[in-house]
Amino acid sequence: MQNPIIETSGLVKVYRGMEHPALDQLSLQIPTGAFFGLLGPNGAGKSTLISILSGLLSPTQGSVRVAGSDVQDDPQAVKRCLGLVPQDLALYPTLSARENLNFFGRMQGLRGPRLRERVERCLEMARLEGLADRRAETFSGGLKRRLNLVIGLIHDPQLLILDEPTVGIDPQSRHFIHESLRTLHAGGMTLIYTTHYMEEAEQLCDDIAIIDQGRILARGTVPDLLHQYRGGAIEAHVGSDISAALDNALRQLPGVRAAEFAPRQFLLHSDDPDTTLDALLGLLRQKQVPLASLSLGAMNLEQVFLSLTGTRLRD
Amino acid sequence: MHRFLQLLTAASKEFRLILRDRQALVILFVMPVIFVAILSLALRDAFSQHAGVRFSILVVDHDGRLIGNKLTEAFRRDQHFQIESADKPLPGEDTLATMIRDGRYRFALVIPAHATDQARRRANEQVRAGGPSRGPTAPVSVQLLADPGVRADHRSLVLAFTNGALRAIEAELIGERIAELARSPLGTPAVSASGLAAPQLFRELNDEPESSDSGRAPVPTAVQQNAPAWTLLAMFFLAIPLSVTFIQERAQGSLLRLQSMPVSAWILFGGKILPYFVVNQLQLILILGFGVWGLPLLGGDRLTLGDAPEAIALMGVSASLAAISFALLIATLARTPEQATTLSATTVLVLAALGGILVPKIVMPPAMQQIALYSPFSWGLDGFLDIFIRGGGIREVLAESGQLLAFAAACFTLAILRYRWRLRQR
Repeated sequence: MQNPIIETSGLVKVYRGMEHPALDQLSLQIPTGAFFGLLGPNGAGKSTLISILSGLLSPTQGSVRVAGSDVQDDPQAVKRCLGLVPQDLALYPTLSARENLNFFGRMQGLRGPRLRERVERCLEMARLEGLADRRAETFSGGLKRRLNLVIGLIHDPQLLILDEPTVGIDPQSRHFIHESLRTLHAGGMTLIYTTHYMEEAEQLCDDIAIIDQGRILARGTVPDLLHQYRGGAIEAHVGSDISAALDNALRQLPGVRAAEFAPRQFLLHSDDPDTTLDALLGLLRQKQVPLASLSLGAMNLEQVFLSLTGTRLRD
Repeated sequence: MHRFLQLLTAASKEFRLILRDRQALVILFVMPVIFVAILSLALRDAFSQHAGVRFSILVVDHDGRLIGNKLTEAFRRDQHFQIESADKPLPGEDTLATMIRDGRYRFALVIPAHATDQARRRANEQVRAGGPSRGPTAPVSVQLLADPGVRADHRSLVLAFTNGALRAIEAELIGERIAELARSPLGTPAVSASGLAAPQLFRELNDEPESSDSGRAPVPTAVQQNAPAWTLLAMFFLAIPLSVTFIQERAQGSLLRLQSMPVSAWILFGGKILPYFVVNQLQLILILGFGVWGLPLLGGDRLTLGDAPEAIALMGVSASLAAISFALLIATLARTPEQATTLSATTVLVLAALGGILVPKIVMPPAMQQIALYSPFSWGLDGFLDIFIRGGGIREVLAESGQLLAFAAACFTLAILRYRWRLRQR
């Protein structure tokens, strides 16, 4: 890979008292200018990875380089080149939007005309010019999210790390944030984006890693992932309700490792889709169940995600 | 320079947050003034009530005979006194002064050497003369040393009791002498015991008991106990807003954001310490100023500050650093704002109660008085009282100031260790 902005090698993080490592020999390279999506269920290791990349946490083992600097050796250099947009609203509610931007800008080392220019640019980017002197606590959820985003951009970082930045906001604000991120990406900024909304990752990211139990399970563009994991899923809609007997028979089909059911719909995850498909058609004919529609292969990123990480609920 | 500017930025942000938190401003500034006013006015008269008071008195008996034994016995019989006899070698004047200044004893009763012989000789002379006589033998000078910080009414109580006990011994000795003379072959005495007015075997103890310090110390009043006490409580109560803002920053993610920036932990902590230090100094000025100028307008006693403003400043700085470091420790120990509020309020109130802020140490049982010596409030209060009442300066408050600074250093170190541990655990 040419000119990676992030390089991790054999990254291990073990928390005291935990049986399994949060990161397990994780090696990753992210090219400069990528819009990188980091997907994984709760407890997969995303937050740990982000914390290590941001210099907030030390790895137990392995190395991390961000923009050419080693996070362990020169954390200050790493921190200067990255912006973090945490999932929580990381701002001071009793300060105005402008005061928040001024404060975080100064803490990043900006002063004088450069600071004023960046504050105005960020207010403009978040469309908060008219509300700049209102306290953040009076803002709606969407406005706060927008302010939360631009605070991470105040020092115009090379790399922006976003941890679920659109949680709990209306579609208009989400759309606005998506557009802003696309603009930043088009301008050459590298973005690392974690989200639980798969359609967001599909729409925004040009490079995605699915992580679970501290390891990368899959990596690639959305079409790559859909192609790579197409074989696993068989989805069907049927003309009558699925009986318990049919439910049981479908689970017993050759190659099926997991199955999900709705009243007239089912999704099978198979290790041998061709064999499963033949057996499925035979079973439906035998049980005289009318078939309304049938699709083979993953239709979207969520199916890839579930086929890789399973449907078991996480803490 | 860059770090200094970061520190100023962090401190100025904290100032804004404090100024916009009306609840915190009320807790930090208004409540203490109201408490000082109410308690100083309310306790002005109540201060003369003695119920439940127990005085610790050290008896230094250079005589070792009748007078010492009788006096000690008289005090021992009364429930208001806790008597302790000084071990040999008996302490000299300087040692006694130190013991009283350090708060180990509020009173010391010094019985001079040969007091019994001297009193008997004088009794003999008085009886022979048939009334008060200058005679060759001087009255016995029993000394009562008192901490100037003891309330005037308490001091008068001990003084009156001591004079009463001396009068009883005097009557006994005179009675003995008369009986002896009556038995003697020389004949009956010229007077009866009851007819011998004011025999003056002992020099009367007046209402200005001697103290280790100068006798010009002002009489302690309710405001002189309450003003420094509530200043200290107000200073330590900043643990609530400081810890809550710290935890809110952590919960809201702004602390995380700051940690992801090139900002050191020292800047983050310094940004908290600086503004709250200023808040503490303003509290000190406000409450003491109210005691000096405001309370007399409401009909209360005027607070006297002594003659050592530099010592007040030293105590103000030491108490403030102790309070802020304690608040930072609470902030790093608690997980939620609710936890921080409860933990701050309870620990501050317990330490304050132990340290003689809510109830003067003098009315505590001796065991509690010993525990009180380990409370930072006790160090702070003793330091301020040294200046306001005992006329002390920098030298006299160095010990209390040192204790507060050591407490501050311990709390700050623990807070930093806990903060770093939390970072590693995230």
